[in-house]
Amino acid sequence: MSDKNVQRLPAEELFQRELDALIAAETDPIPTGWRMSPRSVLTYITGGAQVKGVDITPKYMGNRRLVEIAIATLVTDRALLLIGEPGTAKSWLSEHLCAAVNGDSTKVVQGTAGTTEEQIRYSWNYAMLIAKGPCPEAMVKSPVYRAMETGSVARLEEISRCASEVQDALISILSEKRLSVPELGLEVPAQKGFSVIATANTRDKGVNDMSAALKRRFNIVILPTPSDLETELEIVRTRVEQLSTGLDLNASQPEGDTVEQVVTIFRELRAGATLDGKQKLKATSGVLSTAEAISLLANSMALAGSFGDGRITPADLAAALQGAVVKDEDKDKVYWKEYLENVMKKRGSAWLPLYRACRELNG
Amino acid sequence: MGGPALFGVRHLSPAAAFHLRRALDQAQPALVLVEGPSDLNDQMQWLCHPETRFPAAILAYTQTPPVRTLLYPLAVYSPEVQAILWAHEHGVPCRFMDLPSSVFLALSPEEDPSAPGGDDGPQDGAERTTESVYRRLETLTGEDHDTFWERRFEQLEGDYASAANTFGRELRAASLDSPRHQAETLVREAYMKRVIAQAISSGVPAERIFCVCGAFHVAGLEENAPMTDEEAAALPRADAAATLMPYSYYRLSSRSGYGAGNKAPAYFELLWEALHGGGPGETPYLYLTRLAAAHRKAGNLTSSAEVIEAARLAQTLAALRGSRYPTLRDLRDASVSTMGHGAFSELALAAADTEIGKTIGFLPEGVSRTSVQEDFYRQLKALRLEKFRAAELQRLDLDLREKLNVKSQLAALADLRRSFFLHRLRVLNIHFASLLPSRQEGANWGEYWDLRWTPEVEIEIVESALLGDTIEGAAAYALKERAEESTSIAQAAAIFEDAFLCGMPAAAQHALAVLQGLSVDAAALADVAETAHRLSYVVRFGDLRRFDAAPVEPLIRQLYLRACLTLADACICDVKAAPAVTLAMDRLNTLQLNHTFLEGDRWLSLLAELSDRDDLNTRCSGFAMAILLERGEVDEELLAREVARRLSPGVPAELGAGWFEGLAGKNRYALIARLSLWRHLDGYLSGLDEAAFRRALVFLRRAFADFSPKEKNDIAENLGEIWGVNPQQAAESLMTDLTAGEQELLSGLDEFDFDNI
Repeated sequence: MSDKNVQRLPAEELFQRELDALIAAETDPIPTGWRMSPRSVLTYITGGAQVKGVDITPKYMGNRRLVEIAIATLVTDRALLLIGEPGTAKSWLSEHLCAAVNGDSTKVVQGTAGTTEEQIRYSWNYAMLIAKGPCPEAMVKSPVYRAMETGSVARLEEISRCASEVQDALISILSEKRLSVPELGLEVPAQKGFSVIATANTRDKGVNDMSAALKRRFNIVILPTPSDLETELEIVRTRVEQLSTGLDLNASQPEGDTVEQVVTIFRELRAGATLDGKQKLKATSGVLSTAEAISLLANSMALAGSFGDGRITPADLAAALQGAVVKDEDKDKVYWKEYLENVMKKRGSAWLPLYRACRELNG
Repeated sequence: MGGPALFGVRHLSPAAAFHLRRALDQAQPALVLVEGPSDLNDQMQWLCHPETRFPAAILAYTQTPPVRTLLYPLAVYSPEVQAILWAHEHGVPCRFMDLPSSVFLALSPEEDPSAPGGDDGPQDGAERTTESVYRRLETLTGEDHDTFWERRFEQLEGDYASAANTFGRELRAASLDSPRHQAETLVREAYMKRVIAQAISSGVPAERIFCVCGAFHVAGLEENAPMTDEEAAALPRADAAATLMPYSYYRLSSRSGYGAGNKAPAYFELLWEALHGGGPGETPYLYLTRLAAAHRKAGNLTSSAEVIEAARLAQTLAALRGSRYPTLRDLRDASVSTMGHGAFSELALAAADTEIGKTIGFLPEGVSRTSVQEDFYRQLKALRLEKFRAAELQRLDLDLREKLNVKSQLAALADLRRSFFLHRLRVLNIHFASLLPSRQEGANWGEYWDLRWTPEVEIEIVESALLGDTIEGAAAYALKERAEESTSIAQAAAIFEDAFLCGMPAAAQHALAVLQGLSVDAAALADVAETAHRLSYVVRFGDLRRFDAAPVEPLIRQLYLRACLTLADACICDVKAAPAVTLAMDRLNTLQLNHTFLEGDRWLSLLAELSDRDDLNTRCSGFAMAILLERGEVDEELLAREVARRLSPGVPAELGAGWFEGLAGKNRYALIARLSLWRHLDGYLSGLDEAAFRRALVFLRRAFADFSPKEKNDIAENLGEIWGVNPQQAAESLMTDLTAGEQELLSGLDEFDFDNI
């Protein structure tokens, strides 16, 4: 059923083998509307196990406890709100949770400044509405509506980007667990298993801050940036491998050193201090998330694969780093130069090629 | 053989205590033996006293320095406490059976004294041996050991004893121990076995003996042979004493390590309460409602709906981990998700309140105390300071003046006596009260203290028992010791001041003698001035503290004379040393002004000499001039002449500017008011050539650096008058920020070579 040429397959298709194995091996009780037990969901997300001969790869690396809380929240039919810096795998985690719980991660509403209340509740097919008048066929159900009907989990991305009236539309859905359609005289009750996973960005704080009433209806989990270099290295390496096979990049995997250098630079500039904590740095304005490190490496691989010999050269990397780090031209450029001279230059021979390449770009 | 019943426990475990009581009810033993130092049996009666409130701790300490201490913290949910209480309630004899504390203290000389009880005590056998096993368990379960234990044992409703015994046995089999610790464990177990054997031979049937010990020791007690008489006689012994002391949950929680403490004492008490109420299933509700209440009290909104959601989430989390009831970790994580909006920091205050709590133990009066403790509590009561014996920080404001509207002499000076008492504690390094800086300049009658009671205070009091039998006696001894060790007059003066503040004339007298002896040897001017300054304080305000200052006066006279004689030489110094000299001059001036018994003529003529001489550091000369000016000893004409002389062309710029810096060091209003002075300065500066001006600028900038905007404004007005400029305009140009061009000029000065000055 899956089309090889689809750019990005949904999680449930990408990891179908793992999901099937977990379902087949299920021994624990399964909540209504779920496809597997909470414990199997946990295994699916955190990985590191072998079920029926299938290796379960880790999907979310980091604090296992946070995943437990997230799953437990869904079991109690409460809504789940994932908060974090950009690129801390909020959407990634929400997608995989849905894939494991329902086998369907596609009931998504993307929150934007232009999201309307209809997109959360329902809208109409106006041609049909005019032709037939209000009737069930003329109704266009939102993903949330469909999730309520089927007793599954809907996803709401970037909820804090939505205008507050749109956010408030969620309140009645989450507290009453019903959706009324006055045009049809209909009350749609949510089936057991219905829930919502919303994600919100800490960088958007204050843009459309969620009301206390809405916040109260969520269990909130804050996703941190990876706690140490090793975890982040692991994440970046795994994801780059997955990405490059999916994208047919024709480039060899970046060497361990390269990944480590990128992750080190990102962590240091993010924290505003060197890894050993001995030297203070100026933090750049960009987010420099783990996700960005991943895409940076994939990008370099694409460059190397298309225009080079398939190996990532320091020059490729330097160009990509320059783009990622220097966002706000003036200040970031200064900080980046300082970093090059004060930190990178003194790191010894392993860093020298990268330093030279970066240096060249910055004159 | 149907030997004694061995009940393995985890120290500070509510479930163990609960099941232990049940087991005791069932066994109805004739003798209860508890793991604990066997020489401290007489402390048990106080643990059973109806007025005793836990937590408490048994403190054993060596009576000869260095003081080593051993701490056995006990909470109401300690299995040991419950065993002792049970025996007391049922009239069954109860004894400790572990090595005597004197042996423990002798065995552990190289233990870190800052962590008494952390690794010592009846618990330590398990501490290091199990550490690695604990770590391995943590990797296996993915949870920290406390949570593991809570899930597996605290919530156990079946056969606790055999579960704990099995755990201890397996732990013992799996543990990797340092030989020293292994040996210590064996010695202790042999000793315990010996106590059991003694009990049996005294006629108690073996099967009617009930032993409470760490689960770790159960296997050892079953297998090992009792210690023989010779072996027992060969044990090293330290000269030790013991006392009971109140403890606090806060302190209990700040101790890590098995048995020495636990992270969440208040929560464990909840567990203990729940076991006696509705069973372990009740704990989540108790915890969450208390947390919510504490959170509200801290000024946050928490709805009941959130509490309900937290309870549900915690239950689900527990189920994910396969346990029946949520553990503390589940509860906390659930509350963070629901009440704390995902951030623990929001809940931290309430969580500390609910998990750690502020409980402080209480011991009835008459508990075997060291005499210093007795004295401390007696004075606390007599001075009505008892309400300050609390965990919260409290402010105490003292007014040392005699109150005239009260009847008795005692009441009139109540605050003074309190001050004496608190200062004595300070001298003894007992951190019960800390002195705050005075809020009001010159109000010497006011003293402000922050008081806070911590169990450490009790320990510190006990430690001071080595110095004397009363607080005053110990303080006197401590001061005497310090005085004899002091090597400089500044040190000795500080001790004298302490003795004065403590209201201890004898100790003050002694410090004074030491001080006098030290002052005969040459001392630096700064030291002499500083010391005289301190002593002067005592003379001036001694009355307030009912202190007879007469013996101090001769010494001040001596120091004053010495300072006067050495001052001129001290003024031959470089730029760096000059501020210290001017400070000393200022102090001496104040000293002379304050005490009429010091000859003023000598001082004034000395100042005149300093101000007149050309071979001294000009800053010092300038400062001498400033003092004379302030005291009205200089007439306008003399000032004009001096200014002209010091600031004449030909005098190196740095010398002139340095002199002015000294002059500006004091009494600025007198300077600002004298227009002629500014005219001279103006004339001087405009007469300088470019290079000399630059040098002078450096000094003048420094001289004017700490002038206030108001003062600068006044100077601007003066200059405006001299130059015929509108004062406002002048002020404006002085106050505005520097332009880029000016900045550049100034940073050009960075290259200025200061070494030549």
